[in-house]
Amino acid sequence: MADKGNDPWAMWQTMLGEMEKSFNTFAGKTMSSPEFSKAMNQAGGASAGAQKQMSEMMEKYLGGLNMPSRAQMVDMAARLQSIEAQLAEIKSLLMMQSGAAAGAPGAAQPPSPRPPRTKQPPREQQK
Amino acid sequence: MNASAPFDQLASIPERIQAEVQRAIQRSIKGVEYLTTSGPSLGSTPKDVLSVRGTMSLYHYRPLADEIYRVPILIVMATTNRGYILDMVPGQSFIEFLLKRGYDVYMLDWTAPKPEEKGLRMEDYVLDFIPYCVRRVQEDSGEPDVTVIGYCFGGVLSLLYASIFHDGPMKNLICFTTPIDFREMTLFQNFSDRRYFDVDHLVDSIGNVPPEMIFSSFEMLRPASRAISQVQLWENIWNDDYVKSYRMFDRWATDTLPLAGEYFRAITKDLMWDNKLYNGTMSVGGHRCDLAEIKVPVLHAVAEHDHIVPYDAARHLIPKVGSTDKEEVILKGGHVSLVAGANAIRRLWPKLDSWLGGRST
Repeated sequence: MADKGNDPWAMWQTMLGEMEKSFNTFAGKTMSSPEFSKAMNQAGGASAGAQKQMSEMMEKYLGGLNMPSRAQMVDMAARLQSIEAQLAEIKSLLMMQSGAAAGAPGAAQPPSPRPPRTKQPPREQQK
Repeated sequence: MNASAPFDQLASIPERIQAEVQRAIQRSIKGVEYLTTSGPSLGSTPKDVLSVRGTMSLYHYRPLADEIYRVPILIVMATTNRGYILDMVPGQSFIEFLLKRGYDVYMLDWTAPKPEEKGLRMEDYVLDFIPYCVRRVQEDSGEPDVTVIGYCFGGVLSLLYASIFHDGPMKNLICFTTPIDFREMTLFQNFSDRRYFDVDHLVDSIGNVPPEMIFSSFEMLRPASRAISQVQLWENIWNDDYVKSYRMFDRWATDTLPLAGEYFRAITKDLMWDNKLYNGTMSVGGHRCDLAEIKVPVLHAVAEHDHIVPYDAARHLIPKVGSTDKEEVILKGGHVSLVAGANAIRRLWPKLDSWLGGRST
């Protein structure tokens, strides 16, 4: 049996349990009152409005400095992500086609042949 | 003498002092290392990307068995969590467990929605993303049947999908900690109390809803827990194993995804406020979602002490589905430890294997 003190997974499980326990205790006490809900949502609402205004101001400010805003950088990242997605899609289609063509005479083997779908459960699991 | 030997097992006072000095030195060295290195690599089971469409990604994990079951599995992740939480590290991964037991595993995973995806609605998730992924799994595997595993809110999406597409091709449905009666989601009910929470103002103001707003309840509690855990980290930073386990937990606890604005609005109004799934009045894109229409075999795993999805919120799933072949498994522990704790490994994973194996041929 693994030594619990030196097993990172065992430590992680213990930590998980302890953190979860302390969270649950705090949560039950702190958040069950309507006052908590009211106060939190007032703060949340104010912060949402302020965040929107701030974001609009920053956009104008960065435009004046001839610098890209966060939104423009996010757009750029989105375009890159879209190109990556299309590459992944093309790669996946190519793999499927090479798999389908593998049966044809002279065709190359697909990169990673799939195992047969013939597995049966152990006798005691059979429905 | 070894600095990692338990302190109280060291014989003499000089030995203890020497051990403490060594630990202090190690703390300084390891403390610098901690700040300058990244954490353990999570989600490292080999996989191929089959499709990426904005916030949605579909992966296929490479089989690890010589022979696999006929029916492939599609795991639908919760829209707030990243898929690697089911694939923590080699040897401790739910995904790896399934692959080694001979299952062919696909995962519908999510990334943070981009600003232009703020208009994604419940319809996009239930009537587009999931059916699209099911079709891709069918094409890729060459099999007409698919088993769906829904994790937490991924379970809700899977149930909505299953109730609309009840003529197939879903063969089995497994849900983890899936809420049905949203009145019982006490933490979130309080957060989204309609007397104080203006969801329209929030979504109209900021578009996608960042995780710190969705989970501000967690955030407000985090300072205490985080302070304690930081102290524990410093005390144990000389110990590589502790640091490794700390980093795994820390990444899990802090890596939550934002939600698309319209989708969040629908969750708040239809589920949190009107409890439509429980009341049987839920519809998506004009399609009524009646859980009684679900007739495939269903397994629901729930946690006894889950304060995020309390048992009272989840226990209605099995009575409400129309299947005759259905079962609920209750495990000790909380929301997170259900899928990654010791009980999950000892009880839940083997139970799931024994339930699913016979239904996957």
